[in-house]
Formats: sequence, structure tokens, C-alpha cells
Amino acid sequence: MNYEPRIIAFLCTWCSYTGADTAGIARIKSPANIRAIRVPCSGRVSPELVMRAFDQGADGVLVLGCHIGECHYDTGNHRAAKRLPILHALMQFAGLEPERFHLDWVSASEGERFSRIATEFTEAVRALGPVAWRIAPGGWQAAAESLLPPEKEVPMPALDCAGKTDAIRAKAKELLTSREVGCVIGYEVGPRGRTRPAFAYSAEEADRLVWNPDVSNNLASYLPVKLKPKGKEPPKKVAVVVKSCDSRAVNVLLAENQFTRDQVHVIGVTCEGVRDGSGSLQVRCQTCSERIPVVYDTLIGEPPAAVQAGAVARADWLEKLPPRERMEFWLSQFDRCIRCYACRQACPMCNCPICLYERDDSIWVGMGIGLNEKRTFHLGRAYHLAGRCVGCNECERACPMDIPISLLNQKLAGEIEKTFGHRAGLIIAPSPIVTVLSGEYKEG
Amino acid sequence: MSKSNSARKRWLISQAELETWLDGLAQARTLIAPRQVSGIMLYRPVARSDEIAWHGQTPKSAHAGRPVLSVKEIFFPPTERLFTIQKTRQEIRLEETFPDWETVVFGIRPCDARGVKLLDALFLDTNPVDSFYARRRWNTTLIGLACKELGPTCFCTSVGGAPDNAHDMDIMLYETDGGYLAEAVTEKGRYLIPGGKWKETTASPQQSTYSGQFPVPEKGKWPEHFNDEYWLKISERCLSCRACAYVCPTCRCFAVRDEMLAPGQFERIRCWDACAGENYRRVAGGHKPRAEKGERLRNRFFCKFYYYPEQYGLGAASACTGCGRCIEVCPAGVDITEVLMALEKPA
Amino acid sequence: MNENPMLPYLGKLVEVRDLAADIKLFRVEMLNGGGEAFRTFQPGQFAFVSAFGLGEAPFGIANASGRGPAVDFAVARLGSVTTGLHELGEGDIVGVRGPLGNWFPMKKFKGKNLIVLGGGIGGAPLRPVIQHVLDHRSDYGRLTILWAARHPSLLVFTDEYDEWRTGPDTDLHLTVDSPDEKWDHNVGLITQLLEKVSPSPENTVTITCGPPIMIHFVTKMLQEKMGFAPKNNYVTLEARMHCGMGKCGRCNLGEKLVCVDGPVFDMEEVGGLLETFL
Repeated sequence: MNYEPRIIAFLCTWCSYTGADTAGIARIKSPANIRAIRVPCSGRVSPELVMRAFDQGADGVLVLGCHIGECHYDTGNHRAAKRLPILHALMQFAGLEPERFHLDWVSASEGERFSRIATEFTEAVRALGPVAWRIAPGGWQAAAESLLPPEKEVPMPALDCAGKTDAIRAKAKELLTSREVGCVIGYEVGPRGRTRPAFAYSAEEADRLVWNPDVSNNLASYLPVKLKPKGKEPPKKVAVVVKSCDSRAVNVLLAENQFTRDQVHVIGVTCEGVRDGSGSLQVRCQTCSERIPVVYDTLIGEPPAAVQAGAVARADWLEKLPPRERMEFWLSQFDRCIRCYACRQACPMCNCPICLYERDDSIWVGMGIGLNEKRTFHLGRAYHLAGRCVGCNECERACPMDIPISLLNQKLAGEIEKTFGHRAGLIIAPSPIVTVLSGEYKEG
Repeated sequence: MSKSNSARKRWLISQAELETWLDGLAQARTLIAPRQVSGIMLYRPVARSDEIAWHGQTPKSAHAGRPVLSVKEIFFPPTERLFTIQKTRQEIRLEETFPDWETVVFGIRPCDARGVKLLDALFLDTNPVDSFYARRRWNTTLIGLACKELGPTCFCTSVGGAPDNAHDMDIMLYETDGGYLAEAVTEKGRYLIPGGKWKETTASPQQSTYSGQFPVPEKGKWPEHFNDEYWLKISERCLSCRACAYVCPTCRCFAVRDEMLAPGQFERIRCWDACAGENYRRVAGGHKPRAEKGERLRNRFFCKFYYYPEQYGLGAASACTGCGRCIEVCPAGVDITEVLMALEKPA
Repeated sequence: MNENPMLPYLGKLVEVRDLAADIKLFRVEMLNGGGEAFRTFQPGQFAFVSAFGLGEAPFGIANASGRGPAVDFAVARLGSVTTGLHELGEGDIVGVRGPLGNWFPMKKFKGKNLIVLGGGIGGAPLRPVIQHVLDHRSDYGRLTILWAARHPSLLVFTDEYDEWRTGPDTDLHLTVDSPDEKWDHNVGLITQLLEKVSPSPENTVTITCGPPIMIHFVTKMLQEKMGFAPKNNYVTLEARMHCGMGKCGRCNLGEKLVCVDGPVFDMEEVGGLLETFL
């Protein structure tokens, strides 16, 4: 088939763009398929730019920066070197052929090198054929039912609910009566018998707090709003009941200055797992390796028994699928999405005042509830959570359409751990792919 | 227009006759019915009756028995193109695109049909008529299926509905031993019944005996609760996630914007939005009314039980159908029936 | 009227000029059928103006239909649509949907004195009132205009002040929060100017438009200090809108929709609303 791949190349002003110029001046041939977009630095290339290029029909995206150590801005290309491989892994996981997105380094004088890389990339993309990433409106139909294999059903372990309930209530009453805190955020059982977040402001209200197999919510998500209300005096200290995953969320929020350590009294509770809708152990609990909260002021509960390993069936199955089928799988998932943003709202780490994907002037993704937009939202959000997501899976539980979005976050958590040896929230440290301007952040 | 109960024609049909009929409808028109889509139940086009999910068998979800999204998405889809814009240096050309439609929807429960009627009050019965909703609505026939029992979060009987209420349908089916009692409620429905092939009957459907479980404060009682502390208290757990509004059969807020299709080519679309969102009312200058979660949650309940009925002439009825989807999907346990009960308590 | 109420008429920009810092006046001549729809519009109504490719936004119509047939809009550059509009020039095409909303009951105002209070770009929807009164001068009593802005560079319609102040039985008072060197009128908030003017409520109605906080304090002063009955104080309110026709549900203030029950309200109505406009 005769098709000419359309390649978008992000070239940095100081090195690779000049390198392309050098190639031109020296009359070294480069493919005409390359459409260059000049950026100040390769570090400027954010996932939104790359995904937008693919959303608009690019067959391939090439990012070329200065060689490491030669960046005009010192560490700008370090940023690209850290971030773009993570984006690459994510898009590959979503079904994009890995050859279509490439990061490389070209200096201003390396005209030959530019031409060689551009030619090789163009040929690699040509060999793959036209891209199937961008979906025309109304142009996607599910080829077949794309179902995830179910995870193993693991029964709930024995829990010491009564003991922990008593201990939580006692601690809450103590903190409230002594006025050390103004509010205790915990769990209660609602009128329908469903466990849900509770906010206790007095000793009587503390008697509503419970611990049971359904304490699924990540209560850390209420902390930023509660402790940093816009335009008002921050309230007194707040206590929050956390499981180990929630406690790691507290650490991530502290690393991101959402509030200060002295604003919160962390009531950590050891956790043997929480229940899902069918009564079995939730999938996320099947691979949890921290049963004891990593940060706490008060610790309730005994260290639980060892974890039963499991819960890799879904991720394994996806990894083994060929790219095209993986893409079909994800398209069938995103097709159901209604862009309600419940996933984002349930996430403790998603707290941008205006979400990038919901802005009125949104230039990276449209407002419509179409397939391309929904995919870009989910992939973009997963990318923004890389190194920050603690795997509480509340996003997936909140989703009214049962979309297994936590698989995206899990994938990136794995990539981050593989590349940087970092796991979100074990200590108070930001994600390794977040750029921290020097002088603003102090190890804590 | 629906006929009074006694004037409606009825037939007794078997499961096989129902399936044959549905297969025929699917051939001649678009037939939309509840079906399993990657593990959950949704209203989707079906090519044959055996694709229809009769009873939900969703492994991990609590939504068994009815689609997660209400039937509103058929008449008021999540995204709708209003028109396209061609922009050249010399001129601007607008081209309207209207939905081309002849549809039958099967398997609607009375709560969902009630929701459609409530949306009619807004989109059809209040000027100006919404051309997109109107075209879809006028070209769609509703075939209902009575519920044999109330689900765990259902409360249709508390808001003037009933699990076997045929009032808002074109055709209504009631499950009986070995088949169904089919009832033509409107002329539009009567038109679809295969004349002469079905066995007529004078039997009446067995009336359900469910009664309202939750007290609903009447419309006039809501204003006095506007400034209650209660709204701030219950809203603390709300995540402003908007799932409730999106699964609701009657929530209808939408946003409008232009999106680019290709250089010089745009489309103006409208898509779902919800008042629970924090930036819903933010103006360009930055001022943000309803900045407090409690104000937004209060607006949602007031709109459902006071504003919408006032604005669109619902009389004493509320805009809630009692389907209970909002209770099911809320990740933080906000419960509309709890709110209703709290308001009914003497101050 | 189109079958599709969301389809705008096309309009040509016959004039684009600077009104104030980051505020432009757009004069639109209707093209395809819009002329009929906009043949008569009332002071206080609004319309949606489209910057095609970006979107549309509601703007108060800033002239009286007697001074048409073109329609004026004053647009402050604040967001994506208004920035898009500001990049257009004379001859460019925009979309216009309207006229929408209710209007000032000019018939009811006949024979009465009128006090018009405009703050910043809030003055734009009041200009049709002023023009209408000046064009039907004998129908109305005394016209007092209080016009304010944060800074002289933000005052709108400065080149029309002479026409206004020289109208029969018409007064114009100006004030700014912070003056520049050339300013030789009042300095202070519009409420301070109002106190100076100290109008009598006798046979008088007021019309206020400006930032919500200004409307709040002006009407409070009129009602609490100067004896005006709330129902004689008219305001035009704003809210974020997407359809402007009472469908999308966004602009409600309690049980009223600003786009169909407003944007013109009297303060007795506003006081009875469940929600505050602030």
C-alpha cells in the first residue's frame, strides 16, 4: 500500500532544530514526511503535545533534543529523558506500536545524524502502515466482546472489627474532647447499611465511627480541601483514619505541599483488606505489601498475617496481547466512559483547581464525550499520576461504568519502580518525573 | 396520547412470539434494548432479540436488572453535534446536522419512561422546542417492561410512580406465566403491534401493591429548608464527582462549545455537564458562585424537587423518578432518600 | 426563526473600536435573516455572540434598537471566546443568537425620573436605556446617570458623555476609584458618588448594572439609606450561560433562570430568590 507517513517532529531550538538546518544546508537528504515543530527545549514536550499529535492523525511522533550534558537549559533534556519513556510505555500499553514514538538526541552540528534518525524513523513508521490510533467520529465499532479475565476470587480474611472500632472511637473522642483536633474523618455505616466517609466534630459524633470490611474510601482525598480552604482561615487540626494505602496518599500530599504535617493527626489502622461488591477481597488488596500504615501519629491494630500473592491475571493478560488487540480492548473500555470524572474526583492526588482536561480553552483535548477525547483524558490522567498514585483503586470503584482504569495506573507504577526504584508515598518525596525547581522543596 | 386503562387493547403472547416480533422490529428499524457491554448493562442497538440481556448478570456490579445509564442518553446523547462551521478567509458557512432516526426502544422500566416524560416538559413543552431532542423523541417508540419487584435502591412509588406504571409508554409488557400481557398504550404503540397475529385478551395486568416507602416533602415545603445547616453537613462526603447527575434519568444540564475537526472546519457540540462540578458556574473573570460543595449539593436536590418542577410546570410532581441509580453509583454514600427523610422530620 | 434555536445568524462586523483598556465595541450588521429577528429589540436584552471555532458567549445588547439596525456589543477580553473576538476586525463574520431574555419595562417607566448607575463594563447594557430615553425625551422625567470605573482607562463610552450630559433634564456624574493625572471629576466608589447625588425616591426608578458586589452595595444604599422601595430598583444580572433559552439549566438563581426570567429583575424579586446573585 502506498501511503506516506505523516511524522510530527518536536525539535529543540538549540540543538536538534539547528541540526535539521545543518542537514539542509549541507544538502543531506531528509524525508519530506517530517513536519517540524520547534520547541525551546525537548523538556517542554509534555504528554499532551504528543497525544494531541496522535489524536490529530500523526502516524509517528519524533522528539529530538540536545545530548545529555549539552542542554542549553542545563537539565531540560533530563526532563525529556525521564518523562517521555514513561509516556511511551503508557501509549504502548494502550495499543500504540512502540516504533511510532521515538526520543533521541541530535546536536546542532550533526546534520548527518539528524538525517539518519529521521530516515530510519520514517521507514520504521512506513513499515507499520497508517496509524490506527485516531478514531473518526462514529467510526469505531467493537469487533468482539473484549472482556478481562477475572481475577481470582479470594475470600475475606478474618478481621478484628470490634476491637478496631472501639480503639478508633476512643482515640477520636480523646482528640476531640481535648480539642487537639476539630474534626475526625473516619468511616460510618449509613442508613442503608453501606459504609461511607464520616466527619465527627464531637465526642457523641465519634460514636458513629466504625471499622469493618467495607472501609474502602481513601479518606486522604478530603484533606486538601479541608485543610486549605480557599480564601478562609484554615481550620484546626484534623484527624484522619487511614489504611496503609491511604497513608501513602498522605505522604504524597505532604510532598506536594497540599497541607503541612502538623495540620493532621494520622490515625493509622492496620488493614487485612477490604471487600468488593461480591463479598470477596478487593483486587488491590491481593497485591498489597504494606499492611501497616507508613505514616501515623496513632497506630491501631496488630500487624496482620502475610499477604496472599495473586491479582496479576488482568495485567498479565493485557501485556501479552498484541498491540492491535490491546488497543481494541482499551477502546472498548473508553467507549463506555461518560466523562463524569468520578475517577478523578475520588483520587486524593487529583486536586488541580481546574483540571487540564476540563478547561474552557482546552487545547489538548476537546470537551465532547467522544472516543478520542476520553482516551486522551484517561491516558493523560494516568500519566499525571505516575509516581504519585498509591494504588488505592478508588478511581475504579467510583467508576459507574466499571472501567478497569486502575490497570493504567498500575502499569505506570511498575514503570516508575523499574526505572527509578520509586514507589509513591513510602516516604515524603515527590514523583521522580515531577520537576522541582531548586530551592522550593526540602526533603522531609 | 395514552388511552385510559380500560380502553387499551391487550394481547397475550409467548416468549417466542415476543422474540419473533423483536427480530422483525430490529430488521426494519433500529432496535435498542438492554444488553451486556463488556460486563455492564447498557441500552444499545441490537440486531437480534437474543442479544438482549433479560436479567442482568453482571459479576461485580450492583446494577443487575437495569442498564447503568438511563434511557435519556438515547434522546439527549452525551455529545451531540449542533452544526458544523466551515471557515475560509472569505466566508463562514454553517451546516446543520440533524439526527436521522427511526427507533424502537425495548425493555424500558417505568422509572426511565417517567424520566423521558419529565425531559419532554423541558425540551418539547417549553419554547423554543429543542429540535434534536424532538426529532429523536418523535421518531422513537417506547416498549416498556413492568418490574416484578422493586430493586434495593428503588423508590419510584414514593414519587408518584409504580413498578408497573404504563402511563409513559407506547406499549407495555407485563410478565405472566409462560409469556407476557402486551398492552398498546398509545396510537404510536398500536401501530407496531403485528395485527391479527397476536391473541387478543380482555385480561387486565395484575396491579402491583407497592406503596411509597419514603416521604417526599411537597414542593412548597422546600424553600424553608434552603438555609439549613444540613446541606453543609451532608455535603462533606460528596466528592463533586457528578456520577449521580450522569446516571440520572432527568438531569439535563449541558455545555456548548466549538471543537476543531480539521483546519478551517469546526463543529459546535453540546455535551453533558452537571451542577455538582466545582467550575460549573465559574465566569471568565474568575468569580465562582456555588464555590462551596454544600451549595452545589443543595442545588442538585432543590433543582430536582423544586426548581425544575417550578420552571417547567410539573405541577405537584417532582423531577425525580425514584430509580435509585444515584444511590447505587455514589462512591461516597450520599443518599437521596436519606435527604428526603431528613427534610420531612419536624424541625 | 430557525428550526434549530441553537443555530446563530451570521453578522458582519461593521465597526470595531476600543472602548477602554481591553474592552472593545463591536457593531454587527445582521446578514442572513438576523435582520428580521433583530428588527426590534428592547433595552436590557442580550444575545450570544459567536467567535466561530472557539464558541459563543452572552453579551448585553449595548444600543437601543432605534439607533440600529446594527447591534452593538461591548466585549471585555477575559476568556477564550472574548480573546477570539478581540482578534477580529471590521469585515469579519461573527454569529449572533437572539435577542434573548427579558427587558427593562420602559413603558412602566414613562413619566418617571430615572437613575442609571453603571459600573465598568456593566454600563454597556444600560446604554440602550440612556439612548432610548434621550430619543423619547418627553416620555420620561429627569435622567440622572452615575457612571463609574476602577480607573479612567476603564470608563466606557467616554465619547458619548457630551451627548448625555447635554440632553435636556439630564445629569451625568462620573467617578473612578483611582484617578490619573488628567482626571478632574469625582474620586471614590459609586456608592460615595450616590451619597453625594442623594436622589429622592419620589416617582423615581433606578437601574443598576455592574459587578455583583457593586449591585449589592448600591441597591443596599438606595433601599436602606435613601428610602427606595426594592421594587423600584431594577438590576440586570449576569450568570454563566450556555444556551440562553432556559434549557441547559446553568444560569439558575434558585428557581429563576437568568436567561429567561431575567436578566432584568427588580430587587423585590431578587430579594425573594432563594439563591443570592453574589
